[in-house]
Amino acid sequence: MSEIANPSRARILRRIGTALRDKTSLPTATITPLFAPVTNSLQRFVEECKANITETIVTRDGAESGARLRLVLAGIPEGEVFAEDTPEIRQLLQGFDGNLRWSSDGPPAESSRATITRCHALVALTGSVVTSSACGGRGASVVAPVHVVIARQSQIVPDLESALKLVADEGLPQKASYVGLITGCSRTGDIEKQLVIGAHGPQRVVVILEVNS
Amino acid sequence: MLPRIALFIPCFVDQMCPQVGVDMVRVLRRIGCEVFFPEKQTCCGQPAFNTGYWEDARVVAERFLRVFDKAEAVVGPSGSCVAMVRKFYPELLPSPSGLTKFYEFSEFLTNVARIEDVGAAFAHRVTLHDSCHALRELGVHDGPRQLLKRVRGLELVEMDHADDCCGFGGTFSVKFGMISAAMGDTKTENAAATGAEFVTSVDPSCLMHLDGVLRKKKSPMQAVHLASILAREARA
Amino acid sequence: MTTAAQEFLRWATEKSADLKHRRILRKNIDHYDHSLLKILPTYSNYEVARERSATIRHDAVEHLDQYLLQFEAKIQERGGHVFWAETAEEARAYVVSLARERGVKRIVKSKSMVTEEIHLTPALEKIGCRVWETDLGEWIVQLRNEPPYHIVAPAMHLSRVEIAELFREKLGGITSDDPKELVEAARLALRGAFFSAEMGISGANFLVADAGLVAITTNEGNGRLCTTLPKIHVVVTGIEKVIAHLSDLAVLWPTLTTAATGRMLATYKTMIGGPRGPDEVDGPEEFHVVLLDNGRSELLADTEQRDVLRCIRCAACLNVCPVYQQVGGHAYGTTYQGPIGSVLTPHLRGPEFDHLSYASSLCGKCTSVCPVKIDLHHHLLQNRRNTVRKGRRPLSERMAFRGWRWLMMGSGRYAWLSKLGLRAIRVLSGMGANPLKKWTEYRAAPEFPEKSFREMWRDGDV
Repeated sequence: MSEIANPSRARILRRIGTALRDKTSLPTATITPLFAPVTNSLQRFVEECKANITETIVTRDGAESGARLRLVLAGIPEGEVFAEDTPEIRQLLQGFDGNLRWSSDGPPAESSRATITRCHALVALTGSVVTSSACGGRGASVVAPVHVVIARQSQIVPDLESALKLVADEGLPQKASYVGLITGCSRTGDIEKQLVIGAHGPQRVVVILEVNS
Repeated sequence: MLPRIALFIPCFVDQMCPQVGVDMVRVLRRIGCEVFFPEKQTCCGQPAFNTGYWEDARVVAERFLRVFDKAEAVVGPSGSCVAMVRKFYPELLPSPSGLTKFYEFSEFLTNVARIEDVGAAFAHRVTLHDSCHALRELGVHDGPRQLLKRVRGLELVEMDHADDCCGFGGTFSVKFGMISAAMGDTKTENAAATGAEFVTSVDPSCLMHLDGVLRKKKSPMQAVHLASILAREARA
Repeated sequence: MTTAAQEFLRWATEKSADLKHRRILRKNIDHYDHSLLKILPTYSNYEVARERSATIRHDAVEHLDQYLLQFEAKIQERGGHVFWAETAEEARAYVVSLARERGVKRIVKSKSMVTEEIHLTPALEKIGCRVWETDLGEWIVQLRNEPPYHIVAPAMHLSRVEIAELFREKLGGITSDDPKELVEAARLALRGAFFSAEMGISGANFLVADAGLVAITTNEGNGRLCTTLPKIHVVVTGIEKVIAHLSDLAVLWPTLTTAATGRMLATYKTMIGGPRGPDEVDGPEEFHVVLLDNGRSELLADTEQRDVLRCIRCAACLNVCPVYQQVGGHAYGTTYQGPIGSVLTPHLRGPEFDHLSYASSLCGKCTSVCPVKIDLHHHLLQNRRNTVRKGRRPLSERMAFRGWRWLMMGSGRYAWLSKLGLRAIRVLSGMGANPLKKWTEYRAAPEFPEKSFREMWRDGDV
């Protein structure tokens, strides 16, 4: 579709411009934080994950992370596992002899049993994971029933302000066409408001979190 | 020193439930107030304002303020009418003045006279309906509860959704009578669930509507204005 | 042919008497109330959240053109297309020709009230596309061939039993009414659609100007799949959704989720800036944003009601509205329901919907909960005033208020004529007539006092 003529654009902008010649005002807001400051980010992150049903597995080093990752994979049904192709994740999956597809070979299949990705940050206040299409693509964090996130304690930021600042500072919107927060697993309350876990996205989100010694 | 009080008796109280006004006067006198009734008053203009007839409401509102021009303090037994004056006259009239001297009855007692015990007795279980204008426009919530708690023999119980609208809403009650009635039904169900014998409020319009709903379904519960409860004097 | 006002009265009469309907809505709203009660203490002061959200949205609306242009430039830089549609028809035509030109046959949609507003789905179906709603509630009402019942919870009026029966009929293989089984059935049924659709259509919660991003929120993940798998992604959004800064989302995200569902954050906070990048693993090849006016720029010009454009579609006003709780969503007969719908619809669709502004007791609860501090019940009053000023009220009512005004301008005539009027009512009632029919249809007749207050005062009875 070639660039379509859009004469309405000028008309709409003109009407907006004319309308906005008359200003309206609002009393000044109290610019104080919405929430109490997070004091212990690691602890808070783990607590919030518990509340939003994100599994957290705390490890001390890469070897332990690798072992715990392979344990998670051993516990899920047979099938393709999709992994973001990074040196770290290659290292962690050494010795894994299951059906593995790397992001460098394309997106995860519809029948993938699990996906493994990095993340950009973890948000303590809400137990959220910050990801983007730079972490193995858009589908990597939503297509399979299990999503495993490889993270480090140094990636934990206290709140939403700092998370969004990180997104801006690292130029993520320029580098990746999708950026997002994931808080817990896919869910719905559309049937009599009863919470059901696992709608169209993952039913399990697992964060393997390597903490500082 | 309590001010001399000009009585604001809303038009429908004057015509349909004057006892509410009489009871309010009784309480005010009991606490030592001198009251008088400016006979030239008619209506605050709310029915026209609410239906969108602002030009008509404006003319009547201007007259209303003239009637009370010399008064020091004006007290009325209706949250919605006093809210009309204090909160909506600024939308209707260009820079109206002297609005802060208008008080809803319970807020006059608690905020001006600073009295909670008015020497009343009413040995019944009572639940309070928070009328919308009194609550959301005037901030009246704790005052009536404090007053009721000091009434001898009165057991105050809270209903679920005490601050949900009763369904009156002025001409809404006849324009959309079926919705108004359903809201009244829900409100009276919530009130009855407390086991209360009486439902009370600071707004006679709410109570007129609830009374109509209660009597239609032959409920033993009765609707009574706060002033009428407070007017029942405790014997020495 | 019935008018919208007559339809509303018909619905209202039916639903007001429907106790089962009342119980279902009450149960759902109680759940929401309970969730809110639990989450609010997490906020240092929820009032601050409201104030700050109002300020952010106010600033955005006050600089609408500036931010829209900033947003547009960034999207175009990344290879996305931005189309400005003045009318619903134009917006539909754009999406329909795009679908036609690309040979699109299968479309998946995530929740978008704007696409309801412009009736997009029937237009796409007309050219032979199959359209799947993928938000569970939206899909359920789609299967039932009815409009959404509520801005946030489209299937709020249905019990699990009704949904199970629906799925049994349309999908087969349902053994119980356990929500877990029903959700799994939906997941399986829609998964094929996600993976085979050529076009994904979404709405937008916010358009971020400085970063050039479309922010979409879901709990289910359907929004993610709609914007990942199909090769074309189309966003249809109102022009008023723009916000200035990415950092504004730190306030708006939690406030919206709290007001909408009583939680802190919904699961998927998605932000899309364009089609897939050259080195990206997956994602749509084409990205289109349709910016819809459809009456919004006119509302912008109305300085008294401009704040209505701040709306973030949380539906808190619906949840607390005692009228909505009695009549439900379908009664409104238009896309936007409840208080915001009543305020907005005359601006979007004209005087045919004036009656919605009158179908309110003006309790003001909507205004007290709106997270962006829109003066909703005052706007209902203003809509009524505007209706009167435009001469759209019945003659009988205009005459009645002329009479009322004359009466109230003189205390003598007021007192005398009121006494006469009440006496007449008493006589007529005594004769078997029913002069207070409209009141007594639903309530016992009031008792008439012997004397008015002023008579008692004059006689020294007070």
